[in-house]
Amino acid sequence: MNAPLLSLTVFVPLAGALLILFLPRERAAVLRGIALAASLAAFGLAVVLYLRFDSGTAAFQFVERGRWLGFGIDYHLGLDGISLGLVLLSTLLFPIVILSSWTSVQDKVKEFLVFLLVLETGVLGVFLSLNLFLFYVFWEAMLVPMYFLIGIWGGARRVYATLKFVLFTMVGSVLMLVAIIVLFTAYHRATGLYSFDLADYLRLGLSPGLQLWLFAAFGLAFAVKVPLFPLHTWLPDAHVEAPTAGSVILAAVLLKMGAYGFLRFGIPLFPDAVRKLWPVLAGLSLAGIIYGGLMALVQKDIKSLVAYSSVSHMGLIMLAVFSMNFEGTEGALLQMINHGLSTGALFLIVGMLYERSHTRLIRDYGGLSRTMPVFSAFFLVCLLSSAGLPGLNGFAGEFLCLFGVFRSSRILAVLGSLTVILAAAYLLNMFRKVMQGPVTNERVLRFRDITFREAACLVPIVVLMFWLGLYPRPVLRKMDASVSGYLRTAARSSPILVKAPRSPDRLLPSPRTEKRKPPETEEPVHD
Amino acid sequence: MTSALALLPLAVVISAALVILLLEAVWGKSARKPMGSIALVFLAAGALACIKSWNKGYAYFGGRLSLDNLSLVLIGLLLLSTLMVVLISLKYVEIRSLPAAEFYALLLLALAGGMVMVSSSSLLIIFLGLEILSVSSYVLAGLHFRDPKSAEAAAKYFLLGSLSSAFLVFGMAWLYGASRSLDISGVAAALRGDAELGLEAWAGFGLVAVAFAFKVALVPFHMWTPDVYEGAPTPATAFFSAAPKVAGFAVLIRVLAALGGPGDRGGPLVLVLSGLAVLTMLVGTLAALRQSNLKRLLAYSSIAHAGYITVGLLAEDYAGVLFYLAAYLFMGVGAFAAAAALSGEDQERLELDDLAGLGFKYPWLGISLSVFALSLAGFPPLAGFLGKFTIFSSAVRQGLVPLAVIGVLTSVVSVFFYLKIIVCLYMREPSGEVTLAQENPALLLVLFLCLLGVFQLGLNPGNILALVRMAAAGL
Repeated sequence: MNAPLLSLTVFVPLAGALLILFLPRERAAVLRGIALAASLAAFGLAVVLYLRFDSGTAAFQFVERGRWLGFGIDYHLGLDGISLGLVLLSTLLFPIVILSSWTSVQDKVKEFLVFLLVLETGVLGVFLSLNLFLFYVFWEAMLVPMYFLIGIWGGARRVYATLKFVLFTMVGSVLMLVAIIVLFTAYHRATGLYSFDLADYLRLGLSPGLQLWLFAAFGLAFAVKVPLFPLHTWLPDAHVEAPTAGSVILAAVLLKMGAYGFLRFGIPLFPDAVRKLWPVLAGLSLAGIIYGGLMALVQKDIKSLVAYSSVSHMGLIMLAVFSMNFEGTEGALLQMINHGLSTGALFLIVGMLYERSHTRLIRDYGGLSRTMPVFSAFFLVCLLSSAGLPGLNGFAGEFLCLFGVFRSSRILAVLGSLTVILAAAYLLNMFRKVMQGPVTNERVLRFRDITFREAACLVPIVVLMFWLGLYPRPVLRKMDASVSGYLRTAARSSPILVKAPRSPDRLLPSPRTEKRKPPETEEPVHD
Repeated sequence: MTSALALLPLAVVISAALVILLLEAVWGKSARKPMGSIALVFLAAGALACIKSWNKGYAYFGGRLSLDNLSLVLIGLLLLSTLMVVLISLKYVEIRSLPAAEFYALLLLALAGGMVMVSSSSLLIIFLGLEILSVSSYVLAGLHFRDPKSAEAAAKYFLLGSLSSAFLVFGMAWLYGASRSLDISGVAAALRGDAELGLEAWAGFGLVAVAFAFKVALVPFHMWTPDVYEGAPTPATAFFSAAPKVAGFAVLIRVLAALGGPGDRGGPLVLVLSGLAVLTMLVGTLAALRQSNLKRLLAYSSIAHAGYITVGLLAEDYAGVLFYLAAYLFMGVGAFAAAAALSGEDQERLELDDLAGLGFKYPWLGISLSVFALSLAGFPPLAGFLGKFTIFSSAVRQGLVPLAVIGVLTSVVSVFFYLKIIVCLYMREPSGEVTLAQENPALLLVLFLCLLGVFQLGLNPGNILALVRMAAAGL
């Protein structure tokens, strides 16, 4: 192994944040420049990872591993086809949101940038951790910067929204922590070894009853994040109140962490439980699709319309994830990227409108396409991508998703395709009211068209939309091996534990016999 | 090894108190400045004496006072907390015109009492230490004698504290009757032989348990805590949040370890302790939700944390308990240090509304108070998270999953009020003209030390984990 690429990718933003912390706040342009450079560096590293990624193997690549706290709590990172796309998506969007907030955030710029960069480190850590303890640390730590981003730079009801966001997420995730500890204990009982490693837990034979409980705990944590109906209620509040940058990251990246959690941990660790609960999970996903779509139809605020459309789209992604076949899983992975791009772009566009008019209500607009033709073109492309127009990325992803769902249940596929129909309805309706028709509001005439900086935010996204819509094969090919590997893991039932010999320094001197001694004292201290 | 060296740290601390009192008689009331520095020097000397005694196993008074590694770690925690409290007080004593010599002398005497408690295995000596600690604390709580709240705190603390001391003596008498011994190991040995414990033994254990539940503030014996924490001078509150807890839990650790753990699941001791732990976590957390005063909020939070530590005792993870105590010391003392920084000359500004917008005005204060709040709430990668993680994972390993689940759920609820502090600091418009007292480098040093501790214990606790494991290994 040469340079620790994954660690660099994860911690470059954090280093940028620390640097910014020690610079004077008056030099806002310098601070923004550093933040942009740090996030671009992370993106550059992610591109290197993409280019060097070997698509022929399902194994984790660029693996880094080191002792951290002992007791199986290791620093363990790795990348595979499931996380690759999400890492690229996250690292791409962070520089874009930093660029997009160049003028809209003028207050407390320094803190804003620090929190954004810390958030990026947290997000990347979640996608790359292979040790469940490390994963949990990133998963929770990432809440803190998001809490501040919504709470300080958000709208009028920001404090309510941010507390709701944190509390909802934490209820699920602390129960996941208990479940992680139960897994740890079960593994220790079975083998006498200490480990928090995902690969070790995958070899653990868990009774179906226990699996059900543990999956409930993991699933709750991930379902809140996705969000699965009926745990979605935090999402419209958080999205509407968050600043543009927060909304973009929330929709494009944070929601994906939930779906990623199911793919990486929930389903492979507890396959029996998933098979048993499949009707419930599929039903909830479907309910989210329909409920989110119907809610989006009646929203008056553009931002909450996009927020509810996320609930609907994520429902389809989860339906595809739970279909547990090759097409469905690849479609879900692709659609996660697509949804990140299209919804991220829509939030950016809403933010640009808001910067001009300080309103987000649909009825305050009308006829914008006359005064802002270029902007309107960008808007239309992003909107159609979200609505799944063939030739754009949304279609490719949704097609694969529905194909996968179809293979497991036809009726679900029929109902799931409502996502596309509803999306076309609420998005086009909104576009008609906002961009077309007569000018109802005088102020609209004074709006300037898209600026160079704003275009610079949207152009990379639009290019990717066309690329992924017309020729997604290269991206999908990077996923193939990992997805097949994942499906093999998920297909096994009642896995049998192999008592694998490990490196000798991790073996216990003696199995636990005395009840009195706390287990901590039994492992010799190596430090 | 019998050696008078076992008395050295104690002697240093007591002589510091005496020197300060004598010097006040010579220099007069106005000499505030040097007193704190004298206390600091002696505390540092005491800490050095502790470090030199590591692994030596000095004991004196026929082994009734021993500096085994467990005692040394606990004494180290006590010394560290007192050191930070003295640093917080340097300015505070001046601003609020407290009697400096009395303040430092009482603080050091209270510390001496705590040191006696943690280094003894004889119930009688423990009682002696407890009384020294308690009596000094009562006076410390009432040292703002012009402030009615302070007087109220002292009165409440004294009444309930002396009641609990009475319980302790009474319980010890029962235990002596049951076992013919006042030594913890003697009592345990005598009682472990019996297949069925008699009524005397249960009465004795019950009364002793009640007394210590008072001291470490377990629900339903916590009533004094919020009032005392609110009324006492803030540095004294910082001391109360750390030292009596360390001392009280130290005794509980020794008793439980001598008994061979809390016994079988479903046994009476486990039931009682579990009940206390659950009640403490629930009541501490739920009551904290409704507080609008920073000190009262932190008081209830300290109650909730006592509940988590009790879960650690039940799981027999004594190393984990020690680690948690160390982590709590940094977060708790740090939070109270931040509270002390808010005190003005005329009054203490400790309503949460007073914090509005201060985070941006005083960045270091804001950052540190936020970090302590997040650590108390258990966010990784801070000390509080690792503490909770260690304790809850031991609980799960011992089959106490329900306790662990209640623990994590109450910590989610607690996130709400800890984040309320941060909401006030950063997400509200400044309400009035709140300006802090002048430069206070000593207090900034404490904030910095606590920040360092919180991050160190959360991210790289290797050495400290090794230390507490060595300390708990002797049990």
